[in-house]
Amino acid sequence: MEKIKFVIDGKEVEAIRDQCVLDVARQNGIYIPGLCYNPEVKFSGGSCRLCLVEAHQAGRMSLVTACNYPIREGLEIKTDTSLVKRIRKGIIELLLARVPDSDVIKELAAEAGIDEPRFVKDEGENYHSKCIACGLCIQVCEEVVGVSAIAMLNRGPDKTPGTPYKKPSEVCIGCGACAYACPTDAIPMEDNGDTRKIWGREFKMHLCSVCGKPYIPEAQIDWIVKTTGKDRVFFDKCPDCR
Amino acid sequence: MAIDIQKVDEIVFGYEQSKESLLPILQDFQREFSYVPEEGIKRLSDIFGVPESRIYAMATFYKAFSLVPKGRHTIKVCMGTACHLKGAPFVVEAIERELKIKPGQTTEDRRFSLETVNCVGTCALAPVVVIDEDYYGGSTSENIIKNLKRYT
Repeated sequence: MEKIKFVIDGKEVEAIRDQCVLDVARQNGIYIPGLCYNPEVKFSGGSCRLCLVEAHQAGRMSLVTACNYPIREGLEIKTDTSLVKRIRKGIIELLLARVPDSDVIKELAAEAGIDEPRFVKDEGENYHSKCIACGLCIQVCEEVVGVSAIAMLNRGPDKTPGTPYKKPSEVCIGCGACAYACPTDAIPMEDNGDTRKIWGREFKMHLCSVCGKPYIPEAQIDWIVKTTGKDRVFFDKCPDCR
Repeated sequence: MAIDIQKVDEIVFGYEQSKESLLPILQDFQREFSYVPEEGIKRLSDIFGVPESRIYAMATFYKAFSLVPKGRHTIKVCMGTACHLKGAPFVVEAIERELKIKPGQTTEDRRFSLETVNCVGTCALAPVVVIDEDYYGGSTSENIIKNLKRYT
């Protein structure tokens, strides 16, 4: 792993070649906003576009998404210029027009001083709930969980994550990783006593043998036992009682 | 609608088992069945070991695929700039009224599917309606209904 030096907001920092700008910035205490970035997935799609920064290289400047821009020799990053702020404000405005009900986006908008977006809100038949279609849920389901119960359906304004035929998925294990990973809290997951409802399917929860708390869906235990060969007895107790 | 699973297998096993084959297989489904059937996606997912969700996503992404059976004849009404100005919206309306379907839908007897397209490149004939492979230039809400009667 080749270590290189580059400049971010006037500060010289060390990084590994091809590491993404956002990671290094956060390690060095420099805040860059971002919704769809999650270090657990291999490649960030850069789809929320909130992490835009100025990249100066070889005498040229371009606006790039920090979450998937590789660090190279001689790179200089500026995260807080007036251009970045202006563009970012526009992006927040667009997001607010897409998902006017999302608390996360509303908060970002308030921080940026936006009351109402200048754009037409997606309402009525274009309503997306709180989903910004970043695709993080799909990446997590595929890469981290290894199930691929959901995928990005349709395209253009109708693009939305979902299960095939919008039917309850047969392969979903009810782990809820998609809902936890979602930056805008857009995936409804209901835990109700010893059942969990997600993506239209109901899962029976496993109860801890000590405290009696429902803590993991039976289907998820089956999946972990099947893929890792772990002893089923291990799941008798919840993580707090182990 | 029941699908001949043997036909599905015939198509699927005619290709090399790789991700690159998914799209041509879906195209063959579309040609053979006039849509991409759910059974086909399931079977393909089983044989190739590709998640069903991924294949379904592909089928929803491309406009060339339909997830519901298409009619025997496809009506494409051009809504490009020239056709639009020459009255294409009235032609669509007339067809909608006659067949009682909206663009993107298929008649109950599966005789016609109605689509609007953005430009078929024959602007001199505007407004153009393409039924299967036949081009009808200078379409009006009256003559298009007459032309529909040629297709059974």
